[in-house]
Amino acid sequence: MGFVWSTALKDWRRHRRDPVALVLWLGIPVFVGGLISMASGGRSGPAPQAHVLVADEDNSFLSGLLVGAMSQDAMGGLIQAEQVDQDEGRARMAKGEATAMLVIPRGFAQAVLMEQPSTLELVTNPSQTILPAIVEESLSILVDAAFYLHRLIGDDLREFAAGPAGSTSVFSDMRFAGISVRINQLLVRLSGYLFPPIVQLERGAEETVEADDADTVSVALLFLPGILFMALLFMAQGLSIDLWKERDQKTLRRVVVSPQHVLLFLFGKLLSGLGLMFVVCLVALTAGYLYFGLAFATLPLAVVWTLLSGALLMTIMWLLQLYASSQHAGGILTMVVMFPLMMAGGSFFPFEAMPAWMAAIGKRTPNGWALEQLKAILLESVEAGPFSIALVALIVVASVLFFFGALRLRSNFAQG
Amino acid sequence: MIDVQGLRKQYGDLLAVDDVSFTAQPGAIFGLLGPNGAGKTTTIGCISGLLKPTAGRISLLGHDVATDGPASRRQLGVVPQELALYEDLSARENLLYWGSAYSMRGEPLNKRVQMVLELSGLLDRANEPVKKFSGGMKRRLNFACGIVHGPKALLLDEPTVGVDPQSRVRLLDLVREQTKQGTCVIYTTHYMEEAENLCDRLAIIDHGKIIATGTLAELRAILGERDVLRLTGLFDPTTVAEPLSRIDGIELVQAEQDMLTLAVANASGRLSDIFQALATAGAEVRETTLTQPSLESLFIKLTGKELRE
Ligand SMILES: Nc1ncnc2c1ncn2[C@@H]1O[C@H](COP(=O)(O)OP(=O)(O)OP(=O)(O)O)[C@@H](O)[C@H]1O
Ligand SMILES: [Mg+2]
Repeated sequence: MGFVWSTALKDWRRHRRDPVALVLWLGIPVFVGGLISMASGGRSGPAPQAHVLVADEDNSFLSGLLVGAMSQDAMGGLIQAEQVDQDEGRARMAKGEATAMLVIPRGFAQAVLMEQPSTLELVTNPSQTILPAIVEESLSILVDAAFYLHRLIGDDLREFAAGPAGSTSVFSDMRFAGISVRINQLLVRLSGYLFPPIVQLERGAEETVEADDADTVSVALLFLPGILFMALLFMAQGLSIDLWKERDQKTLRRVVVSPQHVLLFLFGKLLSGLGLMFVVCLVALTAGYLYFGLAFATLPLAVVWTLLSGALLMTIMWLLQLYASSQHAGGILTMVVMFPLMMAGGSFFPFEAMPAWMAAIGKRTPNGWALEQLKAILLESVEAGPFSIALVALIVVASVLFFFGALRLRSNFAQG
Repeated sequence: MIDVQGLRKQYGDLLAVDDVSFTAQPGAIFGLLGPNGAGKTTTIGCISGLLKPTAGRISLLGHDVATDGPASRRQLGVVPQELALYEDLSARENLLYWGSAYSMRGEPLNKRVQMVLELSGLLDRANEPVKKFSGGMKRRLNFACGIVHGPKALLLDEPTVGVDPQSRVRLLDLVREQTKQGTCVIYTTHYMEEAENLCDRLAIIDHGKIIATGTLAELRAILGERDVLRLTGLFDPTTVAEPLSRIDGIELVQAEQDMLTLAVANASGRLSDIFQALATAGAEVRETTLTQPSLESLFIKLTGKELRE
């Protein structure tokens, strides 16, 4: 047990020396939470917004897509993009008039299509702290998404960019229609994931308020567990990257050649992650309990349940990382799993505000399922029987995933 | 004692280690000498349990590595070729952590860490994060992490690469110190001088195979008491061989356009014969180097190439 503990301690020390990550994991959910609660009519006043200047030197189909996505991404209007030319943009940044400026270089689309390296320049405003970090984070997600899109329909895009073949100066209608239809189909298929129905969010929430406005407390309360789980997902995803750090700095190998079993090492890492989650969950839940006047008797159970759920999410993220071929792939894979889980699993808007079919799916995601249980605990509507079954199921599934993770770590991942 | 028998490790089509056998004794340093890609790190990896051998048996301090892994590793120290350190943690924190991996704790661990810090000359920087260290300091800490638990067997994989001469002397002293306490050490390197000065027994390894093994004296005997004469200039490899072969006790080890390597008994007394023979073959000699038999010349003799390419 000594080694488990020293592993957890060592990781806490390391996390403490990298506070930026901590701020991001907590900052984003708190921020989004603030926005959502404002959107749902909790308080009035303007939402803080990141003002991003975009100098699009490329003026291509792809850069246009990027700019478009930037200004209406999953953060729900958190980012306001404005097109400028580069000189004007730099002048305004110098005056501190915007949060950040994004420069898309000439030839960007061409480089991406041909899979050559290209660089986007992001100038951030040093006098703002959280907002530029959020812009940066969303941008990196978008760049990953672009990478994905390219993988899926790269050939079509290339053909599109190369222009019509032969002597004709335009694409034949047939070709053009073919390409458009394929891209369209893909976007339709992906749209559910890529473009969350932000607009419907407000409408949906308001409808719910009208439906049972006698009980407004419980409506506002619906958001708290969702935001808490969003934070857990961010933390689980962020913490899972640490496996790659351990691998890159070869410390994993040292663990493998020590007499300790990797299970103990991984368990220590789990403990350190849960320690961070414990702080977050205790603060969030205590604040929620005070604000909504809940019975404190259920707080310990709520904390335990949340932590066990956090452990499950962490083992899921670990497994994804351990089976990814590279850190980059692992980053994309975990993000691609995390965002749909968040959206479907009741973190961006509560199940009560979703169409029934969507809520039904959402409640079957691991985090959505765990979230429902947490809500029941908060509202004192848990029944001992089903809850104990859920508790056992959660522990068993998390343990099995954990065990497979350790095996994979020992037999394959650590040797890289 | 570390006993390796018939070790093989295959990566796809590549046989990285091919039927390697040797025994390293307690209280002695066993050297694995070979060029880049020879299979040294792979061999070390199999002994330490990081890699699973394709075939072969390894016994580490009496434990079979394949069936009795954790027990075999309890008394094992490893200093990997690539740094394996937590950059965000201080030197002391690194050492405390790796000590805990060998079930050390409390006062004994603190004392041992203090001692190892002193030995590796890092005491005055012990509480700084490792990322602020120079390359050589990181190397010394990497070494310290491998011996913090006072292992009975120690695997050192090129521990002195990138270390300045002073620190190198210090590190090598540390290795000798470990050996005096009865530790069984395996030391890989591609530095001849190090191997000659440090190792009690040696194996020369190339392309995954051991091509010679023994004490330094035994290895020298393979060469015979012959010196190595290296000539640079302009040569025609096809025409120089014949006149040289007429001189007694001379062996043409290597012939290239711009360099000849000869093994000659009592070379200094026979230089004029050699020059004459070369002159008849139309060769032009610009520079002559004469070396006593060394691992380097042995390596050239055995493989036909230089160790450091
Ligand atoms: N994970 C791996 N997958 C495939 N081939 C590998 C792997 N690791 C090593 N090799 C190959 O095995 C051979 C031996 O490598 P090894 O690292 O053991 O050499 P080395 O003697 O330690 O060399 P160096 O002096 O450069 O450290 C090399 O040809 C190398 O390319
Ligand atoms: Mg090596």
